[in-house]
Amino acid sequence: MTRSFELTRSRWLTAVLKSRLFQPALMLLTMFFFVVAILAGFFGTPAGSHNFGIIFVWIVWWALLIIVMVPFFGRMWCAVCPIPGPGEWLQRRGIVRRTPGRLLSLRWRWPRRLRNIWLQNFGFLAVAIFSTIILTRPGVTAWLLLGMMSLGVALSILYENRVFCRYVCPVGGFIGLYSLTSSVELRVKDAQVCKEHTTKDCVVGTEHSYGCPWMVFPGNLERNTYCGLCAECLKACPKDNVAINLRPFGADLLVAKGRSLDEAYKAFIMLACAMLYSAVLLGPWGWLKNWADMATLPQWAAYAAGFLAINLLVIPGLFWLTTLAARTVARLRVPVKRLFVDYAYSLVPMGLIGWIAFSFSFVFVNGSYAVSVLSDPFGWGWDLFGTRSVPWTPLLPGLVIVLQVGLLLVGLAFSMFIAYRISRQHARTDAQAWRGTLPVSGFLVGVTLVFLRLYLG
Amino acid sequence: MKLMSKPRPANTASGEGQRPGLLDRAGPRRELAVWVVLVLILVVLPVTILGYQFVLRPRLSEVRVIDIVAAAPEAGGFQPDAVRVPAGERVRLRFSAPDVTHGIAIGPGLGLDLGHVDPGQVKEIDVTLDRPGRYVFYCNSWCSPNHWRMRGTIEVYDPQNPDAPPVSQVSDPTLESLAARGIDIDAPREAGAVPAERPSVGRGAALVERLGKKLPTLLTDPEWRRTHSPVEAWASLVKAGLSEAEAWDAVAYLWVVDVDAERLQTARALYAKNCAACHGQAGNGEGPGADALTAQGAGQQGDMSTIQDPGSFTDPSTMLAGSSDIYYAKLRRGGMGTGMPSFGPIFTPEETWALVDYLWTFVFDAENQSDVKAEN
Repeated sequence: MTRSFELTRSRWLTAVLKSRLFQPALMLLTMFFFVVAILAGFFGTPAGSHNFGIIFVWIVWWALLIIVMVPFFGRMWCAVCPIPGPGEWLQRRGIVRRTPGRLLSLRWRWPRRLRNIWLQNFGFLAVAIFSTIILTRPGVTAWLLLGMMSLGVALSILYENRVFCRYVCPVGGFIGLYSLTSSVELRVKDAQVCKEHTTKDCVVGTEHSYGCPWMVFPGNLERNTYCGLCAECLKACPKDNVAINLRPFGADLLVAKGRSLDEAYKAFIMLACAMLYSAVLLGPWGWLKNWADMATLPQWAAYAAGFLAINLLVIPGLFWLTTLAARTVARLRVPVKRLFVDYAYSLVPMGLIGWIAFSFSFVFVNGSYAVSVLSDPFGWGWDLFGTRSVPWTPLLPGLVIVLQVGLLLVGLAFSMFIAYRISRQHARTDAQAWRGTLPVSGFLVGVTLVFLRLYLG
Repeated sequence: MKLMSKPRPANTASGEGQRPGLLDRAGPRRELAVWVVLVLILVVLPVTILGYQFVLRPRLSEVRVIDIVAAAPEAGGFQPDAVRVPAGERVRLRFSAPDVTHGIAIGPGLGLDLGHVDPGQVKEIDVTLDRPGRYVFYCNSWCSPNHWRMRGTIEVYDPQNPDAPPVSQVSDPTLESLAARGIDIDAPREAGAVPAERPSVGRGAALVERLGKKLPTLLTDPEWRRTHSPVEAWASLVKAGLSEAEAWDAVAYLWVVDVDAERLQTARALYAKNCAACHGQAGNGEGPGADALTAQGAGQQGDMSTIQDPGSFTDPSTMLAGSSDIYYAKLRRGGMGTGMPSFGPIFTPEETWALVDYLWTFVFDAENQSDVKAEN
């Protein structure tokens, strides 16, 4: 995609990004809130709406992540996330400074078969089937956060760099996929410069910077998926060849290179989970919520089995049939699996917007809890800022559904456009591409109708 | 690709230099400062928060705050379910409901009802309990099949003698009397005779007035009426010459004659919050909790099952065979494995008697009772 605007032309922004203090300072800030969330989970009130751990993790953070950060800034959250912080700082034996020598770790090799996001897919599903419990019980949320940080530290002892973020973190998986749509990218200005630059400082590091902790060579970077926007390459590049650009939404979805089945499955899982969450948490089926909430173990087991089946079999299965139809209708001479994977990327905008629409429903309704929780983060009756007694006030209840419907229609159009462009990559003629788009569009319309049914009742 | 080998100097083979970024010139002091910040966040922050809340704050606060989680019994019930406070000290009880809506009240005889506490909500109340003894906080809103188990105790001790054993339950003369008379309050009872239609208090009042001194003397004694069943009173009235239907009407009147409207109103509110979930708002034993109780009974093994369906107060064949003191005893002591909880720790004796009086209104037509009393 050539239509982009280089943000790093700003000397001020470049100076900030090149500062070694910038990223750790933000990580320490998020670490502060992270610690408060864990403390609130373990010691605060179990009433979720009065607990910082629930309100600021699952409403405030989630809203910022899915509505603002991912669509507009890609993996920016990964750059400031506190979870990998302790592990990374232990490896580096420092927080800000560039410590001489190699990273401190046992330097095991990450298994080749796991160099994909399958672990993240299954990790997300494992969290998702317990989501009703995690989202409502502060103690469980605290254990989850602490567990993730501990796992990050453990992996950083065994493996160099951010193996946890790249291959394990269940949140990082979908942030990576959805950052394909984002309007910000980190890219090299001239790939030829990187090709001719033999020392590859961005990969091996310099005395001022570490090599890419995400194990990415910026010279080959064409998609946002695995770039954590830490700006180490920006600091390292002696050629001043790394830039952060503003670009059209969804540009990476049209990059054929790098598409893979694990990412396609991530698209299915995220789309299915957005629908299932909407059904469980917003739908009128009390029994379903009870099952998800582990009313009894057999009921939850049935729910979990259904949840996994829909994620791993039903949605991918239906999409496989859709792909077959597209291939037949358009007479595309491309292996079905290739088409299946490629077309799956057309679900990314729909999925992201489905999540945003789902998030609107509880962010607008329950967001006001954040005001009182800010003053009384543990539900202990504190009143730090005098806002403890601010009553729960749903914001713009009439507008939420309008926004949801509007967003879903935008998402549908966006996804259909991407489906057409992907078709065009395989079709010889425009007509052939349109015919290939039809079945996929039908699938997308079906998904939109499911969302509308769930939101409109 | 081999990653993270030895760092290269700034001026590499390519010849281009690179300068440290903005704010990067402070050196080791900055690194130290950042580590200090990290230690502040990971160690000092938690210690400060927890130390303030659990050590300093109780010492500074004028009122002791006790946080109580109100969860359905299946999820642990009240946590904690027992608190100990000195007599005369003001304490703030903060109830939070993490799961479903609960109704929180404290008894007996305190008249403290916080109303509904919805999921995620926190409600608090300041109480000063002056007399040593044992009080009960309980849920009075149907919250789960085991709702009636949702109770906790407040033990109020004498600050002058904090190690003294808790004040034991005051003996109940009614229960002692039943025991002395050898009456098994759990024994099944069946009235030999039942009225053809619901006995009318209004008609009964006219009959009793007409009978005047011909009314058997025993029936004029409130204590006798408390300790005997309506069917016993009915038999003596039939013997005195009333028809069967007239005798039932007269019994209906005699059984509610001492009940005033205010007492009935209090009892109605207590019944609605504490009894209707199982016994039904109409007293017919078909409350929303009845099915759960039946299911619990079915879950028990064979003949060992003692859980019963909630009793129907509208069924004259069973209701008219029992006496007020037996119903009083059942209320206060509970149904011994039948699923009927013990309300002794929650209600005062006076509230319990009022409830018993209210129960008779299900089997007797007392709609015009207040008018009748006024006329009398």
